[in-house]
Amino acid sequence: MSDKKITIEFNDKVVRQFLLASVIWGAVGMLVGVIIAAQLRYWQLNLDVPWLTFGRIRPLHTNAVIFAFVGNMMFAGVYYSTQRLVKARLASDFLSQLHFWGWQLIIVAAAITLPLGFSRGKEYGELIWPINIAVTLIWVVFAVNFFWTLARRREPTLYVGIWFYIATIITVAMLYIVNHLSIPTSLLHSYPLFGGVQDALVQWWYGHNAVAFFLTTPILGIMYYFVPKAAERPVYSYRMSVIHFWSLVFVYIWAGPHHLLNTALPDWLQTLGMTFSLMLWAPSWAGMLNGLLTIRGAWDKLRTEPVLKFFAVAVTFYGMSTFEGPLLSIKAVSALGHYTDWIIGHVHSGTLGWNGFMAAGMIYWLLPRLWNKPLHSVPLANLHFWLGTVGILLYTAAMWTSGITQGVMLNATTEGGTVLAYPNFLETVTTIRPMMMMRLIGGGLYLVGWFLLIYNLWKTVAGAQAVNGTIEVFDDAGDITADEKLSLMGTFLSPPVAFSVLGVGFACAWMFGNDVLSIAGLVSLMLCVVAAYAHFESRGKKWASWWDRLLVNSAPFTILVVIAVAAGGLVQIIPTVLMHRAANVEDRRQFPYTPLELAGRDIYVSEGCYNCHSQMIRTLVPDVLRYGDYSRLGESIYDHPFQWGSKRTGPDLARVGSKYPNIWHYRHMENPRSISAGSIMPNYPWLLTKATDIAALPGKISVQRMLGVPYPAWSPAEVFANVDAQAKAIADDLRAAGTSVAPDREIVALIAYLQKLGKFETVAPAKSSAR
Amino acid sequence: MTPIPPPEDQSLRHHSFDGIQEFDRRLPNWWMVLLFGSILFWMVYWAYFEWFRVGLTGSQTVEREMEHIEAARLASAPTTDNASLWAMSRNHVFVEAGRATYATTCVSCHGDKLQGGIGPNLVDRLWIHGGNPTDLYATLDKGVLAKGMPAWVPVIGAKKSAEVVAFLLSHHAEGEPIEVQAAWIPILPK
Repeated sequence: MSDKKITIEFNDKVVRQFLLASVIWGAVGMLVGVIIAAQLRYWQLNLDVPWLTFGRIRPLHTNAVIFAFVGNMMFAGVYYSTQRLVKARLASDFLSQLHFWGWQLIIVAAAITLPLGFSRGKEYGELIWPINIAVTLIWVVFAVNFFWTLARRREPTLYVGIWFYIATIITVAMLYIVNHLSIPTSLLHSYPLFGGVQDALVQWWYGHNAVAFFLTTPILGIMYYFVPKAAERPVYSYRMSVIHFWSLVFVYIWAGPHHLLNTALPDWLQTLGMTFSLMLWAPSWAGMLNGLLTIRGAWDKLRTEPVLKFFAVAVTFYGMSTFEGPLLSIKAVSALGHYTDWIIGHVHSGTLGWNGFMAAGMIYWLLPRLWNKPLHSVPLANLHFWLGTVGILLYTAAMWTSGITQGVMLNATTEGGTVLAYPNFLETVTTIRPMMMMRLIGGGLYLVGWFLLIYNLWKTVAGAQAVNGTIEVFDDAGDITADEKLSLMGTFLSPPVAFSVLGVGFACAWMFGNDVLSIAGLVSLMLCVVAAYAHFESRGKKWASWWDRLLVNSAPFTILVVIAVAAGGLVQIIPTVLMHRAANVEDRRQFPYTPLELAGRDIYVSEGCYNCHSQMIRTLVPDVLRYGDYSRLGESIYDHPFQWGSKRTGPDLARVGSKYPNIWHYRHMENPRSISAGSIMPNYPWLLTKATDIAALPGKISVQRMLGVPYPAWSPAEVFANVDAQAKAIADDLRAAGTSVAPDREIVALIAYLQKLGKFETVAPAKSSAR
Repeated sequence: MTPIPPPEDQSLRHHSFDGIQEFDRRLPNWWMVLLFGSILFWMVYWAYFEWFRVGLTGSQTVEREMEHIEAARLASAPTTDNASLWAMSRNHVFVEAGRATYATTCVSCHGDKLQGGIGPNLVDRLWIHGGNPTDLYATLDKGVLAKGMPAWVPVIGAKKSAEVVAFLLSHHAEGEPIEVQAAWIPILPK
């Protein structure tokens, strides 16, 4: 080692930028959240304005808080801590600025396109394809900047926080790209590559792991840096970090199907989703333990230090929601809680509690350090803490009450279990309206707390001098000796990797093999576990020294992370994509949509109807009693994107076709309360006046053909003729019922689509295929 | 809470990252039980449902349960002949129960005074699908799907349906003339 010390100045400018962006977008995202919560309680607040309607701005809320608020917060935390943990300035100032400004541009683009109704119709994946490409590119910029910095590190060993950052960058890229594969029909519109059950599986593989790898792992990394810093205590247990990191990143990926329990998703996937969710409980709680028990030695500081208070409550909420998650993944619990406010409450105890409070704690800790000035007001920060805490408690209590109440009412039967106790869906909505008010108050308090943070930040930063951290370090401190280097062979041919890969392989042979293979797999799995245990007990030093070497080799470490996070997706998605196609469907297959119905479906997607209406009748008696025969896999096989939904603020629509006359839908869309007194659905008056985009249909249909939907090779003229005929029939029917509307209006296309829902052809049972 | 004695034990790792140190404490036993217990549960659960296929799938379960419900419905169906329904229409208990169901289920289309709206008037003597009590019940049972009248009996049950028919009949007299109406022109709410 040379004895020449150099001084490094960290790039804290980009940290400050991301921090401020996070604070501002956080306020915007939470404000939109309060607005949509108010719209649920007071439907009038939809104001009959398309771009202010719940279905369009709920995606704005979710995207803003996930990608803009937590995203920017994560980048600030990752960049601040990484530079210090690896003793190197961020590799490129240019890439850092490109990352920052590119990300803000994406957010602005999202904030404009979502309210205008440009949507892919998949939750947290609504942004249109040009923005998807921008997100991917900027994420690559982030990755390059990060890994380049790692490559230039002067601290050979990777700290646990860095492990989580690596997992985040790799996995989010994988999830985002696969779930956003789509074929454009125009600059602003595309159809997802996957359809029906495939799309459902891919979507929730993404959706669940967006929570895991966007809202959890980076924040855990941030926790591992900022909590011990603020508590001035060592991390509780290194051993726990190791086990909880690997088990968390491996198991999380498998749990996505718990969003699709009791649906048409094949049973084996549901079983995997449920059991792996339960297996997530311990790894998640290890993270909580490491956070809370690190703070334990510093309880006295909780009285004076708002930062630690935020951290302690954040980690507590992390523990609470990661207990609630596995609980809700039990099929029987899901039967009650799914599609209700309970799920929304669960998410918010994670986002408001864990993400929001980790963000607040981190920001209050960073402000004095980034601007070299004490925090303007500690009492104000304390007030923020209490407002926020009471807000979250009100919010989650309201949502538990509301979700469980509605779930129980919807599932209640009478007359010996033969009849629904509350056949009218609206009655269950009316019952929970007081809870909507309580939720609004809770969310409002939380937002007020956030405004206090902004004020405090403003007073702290105003007139303060921004400072960048520095460090003195030996220039070649990061170099490692030749025998510390791990080759690819050395990475894989190591006891921990070998036993893990073999174990997972044997487990898969057991689960998916035929009789003999299955038994062989189980026996081998047992033997493998015993052998691994014996080897670890006798040659534990070998494991430890390999691990120490892995930690100074970032590339092999990253490769192992890639393998760990890819496994679950590969096992679940590949068979589903290969197997569940229209040609293999048994039992029932939906009729492809006519061109007009397809146009109506695009309107349904664009208006965000899926935010409140599911199209999936579960294999549960109350669902069947309420909505009709349970949905089959083949009944949405041509749906690009699938619209199974995740929340029933209104009733399920899977079999709404032909249930009501056209005029019913016309009046209902114009003003839902003229049909259902007490409905909280927004009015959609513009559908009655806006013209349907018919001209785009030939292009859209040719993309649908590419995706495998069996449309004939229509010429544009044939498409238009088909549209005209169907639209005219509906307009005529409406006229007979006393309303005059031009056939080219959006309402006509939407009615055509709604009346098609639930129409299927019976398919002769094919030979039963392997699972 | 009593302060926990600082465990500045030998398990503190020497390496420090930007001043952060780590203990290397062993994992709590209860946590290990949780981890291995949940793994064991996965194996048992998978074996039960997917390997030996002892447990029924979701669709098998719901189909079996719906069969039981059908059987129970068939066993407990009320008498719905003309005479019984007329008799029910003169019984205050049935009529009031029917009124309550009407108010939540039927009122949005047929109006609060049965005067009609989206669906036909139910107090006049004009009937599209027949005016006998059994005709009314049949309309409730099968619905008139093309016109938007759902099949209600499967939703609200035979008992409530019979009560609603009794409530409707309470606005009519046995033996009053039944006139045939071709169709109903919806009166739309403003």
